[in-house]
Amino acid sequence: MSARAAAQRRGSAPVAAMRLSPQPGEVIDRSRELSFSWNGVEYPAYHGDTIISALAAAGERVFSRSLKYHRPRGLLTAGFHDPGCMVQVGDEPNVRGAHRLVSGGMTVGSQNTWPSLRFDAKGVNRLAGRYLTAGFYYKTFMQPRALWPAYEGVLRRFVNAGSVSPDTAPGRPEQRYAHPDVLVAGGGPAGMAAAVAAARAGAHVMLVEEDHQLGGHLRWGGEAGLAALGELAAQVAAEPGIEVLTDAVVLGRYDGNWIAVLERGPGRPAAGAAAPGDSAGPVAAGPVAAGPVAASPVVASTERLVKARAKTLVVAPGLIERPYVFAGNDLPGVMLSTAVRRLINLYAVKPGERAVVLTANADGDAAVADLKRAGVDIVRVEDARLGGDVVAASGRGGVRAVEVADGTRILCDLLVTAVGWTAPTALLNASGDRPVYSARAARFFPDLARLSDDVLVTGGIAGDGGLAELTQHATAIGTEAARRTARIARARSLACPASAAAAASAAGTVGAVAAASSAEPGPVAIPGLPVDAHPELFAGRTHGMVDFSEDVSSKDLLGAVAEGYDSVELAKRFTTATMGPLQGKLETINAVAIVASATGQSIAETGTTTWRPPYAPVTLGALAGPAHQPVRYSPMQPWHEAHGAAPLVAGAWIRPDRYGDPAAEARNVRERVGIIDVTPIGKLDLRGADVPRLLNLLYVNKWSKLEIGRVRYGVMCAEDGVVLDDGVTGRLGAEHYLMSTTSSGAATIWEWAENWLQTEHPDWQVHVTPVTTAYASINVAGPRSRDLIERVTEGVDSTNEAFPYMHVRTGRIAGVDDCVLWRIGFTGELSYELHVPAGYGLHVWETLLERGADLGAAPFGVEAQRILRLEKGHLIVGQDTDGLTRAFSAGLDWAIKLDKDDFAGKPELAWQLAGGVGQRLVGLQPADGSVVPEEASQIIDDGRIAGRITSSRMSPALGRSVCLALVDGRFAEPGTVLTVRLPSGRRIEAMVTPQLAHVDPDGGRMRV
Amino acid sequence: MQASANGHRPGRGRTRYPARYSAFGLLRRGLVQQEWPPAWRSQPMKDRYDVVIVGGGVHGLAAAYYLAANHGITDVAVLEQGYLGSGGSGRNTAILRSNYLTPEGVRFYDRSIKLYQRLAADLDFNVMFSQRGHLTLAHSDASLRTMRWRAEVNKIEGVDSDVIGPAEVKRLVPFLDVSAAARYPVLGALWHPPGGIIRHDAVVWGYARGASARGVHLHQNTEVTGIDVADGRVRGVRTSRGDIATRVVLNATAGWSTLISDMAGVAMPVQTFPLQAAVTEPVKPFLSTVVVSGTLHVYVSQTDRGELVFGASVDPFTSYSTRGSLEFIEGLAGHVLELMPALTKVRVLRQWSGLCDMTPDFSPIMGRTPVDGFLTDVGWGTYGFKAGPVAGEAMAECIASGRTPEIIAAFGLARFADGALVGEKGAAAVGH
Amino acid sequence: MILLPCAWCGPRDAAEFQHVGEVVTRPDPRTATPAQWRAYLYLRANPRGWTVETWYHRMGCRRFFKVERHTETNEVRPVTAAEVPGAAAAGVAGPAGAAGPAGMAGTAGTAGTAGPAGAAGAAGAAGTAGASG
Repeated sequence: MSARAAAQRRGSAPVAAMRLSPQPGEVIDRSRELSFSWNGVEYPAYHGDTIISALAAAGERVFSRSLKYHRPRGLLTAGFHDPGCMVQVGDEPNVRGAHRLVSGGMTVGSQNTWPSLRFDAKGVNRLAGRYLTAGFYYKTFMQPRALWPAYEGVLRRFVNAGSVSPDTAPGRPEQRYAHPDVLVAGGGPAGMAAAVAAARAGAHVMLVEEDHQLGGHLRWGGEAGLAALGELAAQVAAEPGIEVLTDAVVLGRYDGNWIAVLERGPGRPAAGAAAPGDSAGPVAAGPVAAGPVAASPVVASTERLVKARAKTLVVAPGLIERPYVFAGNDLPGVMLSTAVRRLINLYAVKPGERAVVLTANADGDAAVADLKRAGVDIVRVEDARLGGDVVAASGRGGVRAVEVADGTRILCDLLVTAVGWTAPTALLNASGDRPVYSARAARFFPDLARLSDDVLVTGGIAGDGGLAELTQHATAIGTEAARRTARIARARSLACPASAAAAASAAGTVGAVAAASSAEPGPVAIPGLPVDAHPELFAGRTHGMVDFSEDVSSKDLLGAVAEGYDSVELAKRFTTATMGPLQGKLETINAVAIVASATGQSIAETGTTTWRPPYAPVTLGALAGPAHQPVRYSPMQPWHEAHGAAPLVAGAWIRPDRYGDPAAEARNVRERVGIIDVTPIGKLDLRGADVPRLLNLLYVNKWSKLEIGRVRYGVMCAEDGVVLDDGVTGRLGAEHYLMSTTSSGAATIWEWAENWLQTEHPDWQVHVTPVTTAYASINVAGPRSRDLIERVTEGVDSTNEAFPYMHVRTGRIAGVDDCVLWRIGFTGELSYELHVPAGYGLHVWETLLERGADLGAAPFGVEAQRILRLEKGHLIVGQDTDGLTRAFSAGLDWAIKLDKDDFAGKPELAWQLAGGVGQRLVGLQPADGSVVPEEASQIIDDGRIAGRITSSRMSPALGRSVCLALVDGRFAEPGTVLTVRLPSGRRIEAMVTPQLAHVDPDGGRMRV
Repeated sequence: MQASANGHRPGRGRTRYPARYSAFGLLRRGLVQQEWPPAWRSQPMKDRYDVVIVGGGVHGLAAAYYLAANHGITDVAVLEQGYLGSGGSGRNTAILRSNYLTPEGVRFYDRSIKLYQRLAADLDFNVMFSQRGHLTLAHSDASLRTMRWRAEVNKIEGVDSDVIGPAEVKRLVPFLDVSAAARYPVLGALWHPPGGIIRHDAVVWGYARGASARGVHLHQNTEVTGIDVADGRVRGVRTSRGDIATRVVLNATAGWSTLISDMAGVAMPVQTFPLQAAVTEPVKPFLSTVVVSGTLHVYVSQTDRGELVFGASVDPFTSYSTRGSLEFIEGLAGHVLELMPALTKVRVLRQWSGLCDMTPDFSPIMGRTPVDGFLTDVGWGTYGFKAGPVAGEAMAECIASGRTPEIIAAFGLARFADGALVGEKGAAAVGH
Repeated sequence: MILLPCAWCGPRDAAEFQHVGEVVTRPDPRTATPAQWRAYLYLRANPRGWTVETWYHRMGCRRFFKVERHTETNEVRPVTAAEVPGAAAAGVAGPAGAAGPAGMAGTAGTAGTAGPAGAAGAAGAAGTAGASG
């Protein structure tokens, strides 16, 4: 009877009935008691307890229900990857209860249980189990089709997981970059020894251990183990070159030894904090072993991603103990030998009362000793090396009896298995490794020959042997890892053409390099590690669970193979074995062995599956890190905000869309004068003798004869003739030009120009400087704009004669020198575009409004500008053109000069002209001027699409709707009446106008 | 043309399946503890086939299936270098939709959706097509315009799509941050009810089972090492398991399509980019639609197992590597949290990569080539899985009739030399 | 993340760069036939193995440079002009987001600004291709 059951009878709180007297290596701090709630009941715990160790101490055995059959599940590995120990902590789902430390007041609940963990209604699935075989859903729920959503609803109800709340507070923890010479993955004896050796060889080392303390299996290795650990821990602590990360895991090794490390919370140790149980032995000697248990107060659960560019990676993760497959192997009370040893030695928890042990190795034997010491009654030891075996375990809520090889049925509440190991080769897979199977050792080993130069392997994953042999091997590996760092660093920089050339040319450098390489010590001799014989024990005589998180049994796998899913990958996908939260850590090798037995192939032939990163699950928050989503504002932004501008997100820019009524803003421009902030317009400063050649190449029109003081509109195409960008370029001096581009094209066109200059015409004398944000840009537009300009400028004669349309001047505006004035306009009105040094942008903006108050000067936003430019028929690249619109289709015939020798896209445009223009951009006016067809409304010609509206607005100037449209050439003739299908489905008629401009087609207003 | 008009006709050329799948069958076999027979047979490789299909993914298997089912052509071999569905078919994010931009694109994918809807019945294999609706978010007025463009073309082609506002979006996906304060505010979305997700492996297995039942030979672990061409026509195929004489070869590969086409001497305007995806640990179902953000380059759906499946756009540079990158999951996580900040504590379980053959106009390259008897069904970029059934159906018809079916007329290789690219690129450069 | 050997800045994370693509030679626009020109626009060798390609150090020195990269292992090694076919050309068929190789990827959008902001230019692309979910 569990302590809790007893407690409930007594009506009092649960007590830690299974807690043992103090153990030498325990990591709990008995002086610091806590309590937390489990499914609504308060439980006692000590600092250092994991959620599950505390529950186990109170006699709890069932922590979750399985996916399909809702079988009760308990402790299996007592480590991070314990499949039965996933719990919900507050709003955090899928917490690893056998790893997460208890904190005071923690609210913990079981997952996937309904109505309760104790009585789970879905448990009836166990009866249905016979036909809920793997892949059953592929064979049913097919008819009638209409019912599938209902079936699906049922399937979804069985989701085995925690829940996420929409109110979860956003969390984007900081990330960290690190540049260790050597990164050691695994803080067991081998990892520690390798780190020490590398540090002694002068390397900066990052030592990463997934558990809360360094030491690996030494921590539960009894007095001898603890003594050895104490020595190693002291050596690690003595090396300032080693940074230790505990409760951290290497998630993945990516190209270039770019390594992701996850530091876990809660309560990463405060530097130098001492761990409780310091008194308990050398484990906790110094900061090295300071476990999270020390951190106080415990911080909220957080994870932090460390991105390390390591020169060499030493993989020393140790081995993962493998479960044994037999009937009832998933019952609470069936545990791995490491699980019981961890429970007893680290948490002082008695795993059970009466135990049967199946052992095939020394660790199993050691577990027997630990159990005896803990006062567990060992009722039977089955030694696999002598033909011992376990046939089946039975019981309801947990193990009650075990049938062994000779058929005897033994009553017990604990069954411990020690049948072998799995090598976690995840990090090696990403380095080119394909593990090879050793029948002698009954496990896979890395294929060292295929490993890249910057990855080394040591510890149990590489071989067996005693502690002395392992540390000797690890020491050699650590030294070699450090030795290789210099060469790898040199190779990385020498890969750079310049440095390579430099190295080649400068004899001195070559000498230095040569010297360096000759001075470099030769490779370190790596001693071999023995490979111990181990019986091949995977699946026993009865069928049992292979994948505990997915409820996939050996029977399911055999069935899959029989159905033709006869490779590991197919069987895996069909049964979903290894697809769950464990990602194969416990189950892959058993699955491989079972598939092999079914196909009659050897395990080696069958091969194993590829481990994919991350090695351990990682929160989206940790991966994302802080949001770096910069936005760009003009210097006038404070004014815009102060005056209620509605923001418009335009790529990286936030712009004023409107201050009030856009139509009124537009009217003010037509009748008086308006100013708009056009700072985002791309601006490139071009200098050099060959600028005209560059312009002639980038633009479709001619630039050779642009006089100083002149401005010209230009269109750029890509090499496929598709319109890429447009803008104006003005000539400020003999060899000095200022180019403007579209706002979103600014970066693209800069790169475009550099591309041509650097790769096609490196001989041209042109220097390009982006000055987009060096200037604040303001367009002053409207019939009264000249009056306003005259009031604020000095040194510029702005009469029409002195400063005509399409000219540029430089001068002083509102007392600000070095301003550029362009007499151009997007609105169709008399207008000036001012580019003033950015720092004075706000000043000039406010001056314009102040000095122009009596002229009616008022700001207008992007929306008003769009209305005005549409009235004028100016196209917007990317809105009135698309990714296939060649220049002739955009109605730019007048600009395209095919008699130029060359320009980007010229051949395609020549062929377009010869082959018929195809689509055409036209002006369009709905017959009913009160209807504004939504942009993207389609133009229909007897049922077929013949074009679309690209731009549409109600024109304040004309009091009717006006549009631009891309239509089949057949319909481009002025006067053609087209049918437009509105989103509502309603169809209206619209007529093609004589030209794109709806207002002032001959452009008189701009030239006054 | 009959075939493509009626699609697959179960009556025609149907052979009995080894064992009919049904709930009753499950129950009976469950009770008597009897195993199911193989879903497909494995035969020795012959030295001659009428048709050899390179690629044992959904495209190749569908083509084989429809060759047999619609045209009675059963002397067909499907060659797969790994296991069935080991390429793009098993690595995609299993999202189906037909809300494309061009009429030809919409018609094509709509046909695919219609075939998918009846696939379970046709194949007697539950492919679990869940038409839960597909939502493409617009974060700028430019992308909202593009959504409207797609919606209007869809409507005219009879496909159910429309633009909806932020409130409606929030109702469909309560976890979305639709506040104006968001860095990428949700201005609206393209809502496409017929879209959804499917069990991708099941589609592969269902077609394999159906093709095998009709006599098609499936050869796994068989790598094509060469293609024999003489006098401008295909003569045979060389494989890691021996040579095959044939007059028709269909290149239905993804990731390796240029390598295979090069063997036949046919140059393809294709570049191979990795496309990465990731899946989280299961959490209780909270997301019932597919959510896509073009601006943030991310798409999200939740499987019936509770996992969140994430996809993105292709990697920033060409590669044949499927090792994956850290930047990918970092960026992905950031973008997901921009959309659904509450998912910060959900854990990524696994990331993986597939290879995508990108063409200049985001459209496939289908049909015949300058080499007689060498056909292609390639260039599937990031959208190949959606098209599996219709591509298989059309390529089968193309092989059987020797004519190019209307439904793929726009996707011929010649369009590049002619400078007549498909308009799906139209949206590709719609800027601002 | 792979390290790229920028000729001017030294080894840097690939994230700082724009992949321009395989080195291609621009035909003479005065004499090119449609076939030649469109081969230049659209056809790439797309080898599985070593290839010479152009990268642009967008977040660094803003220089275009060539490097030889193995498309399966992503190892890189320097190239000298001698080793480069059509040494001068680096593939100007189109800037990011336009007709060029970068455009083919449907990912680059408006180059220059990283991440979603920059990708906004390709919003449409993402709608159909970039994120084809």
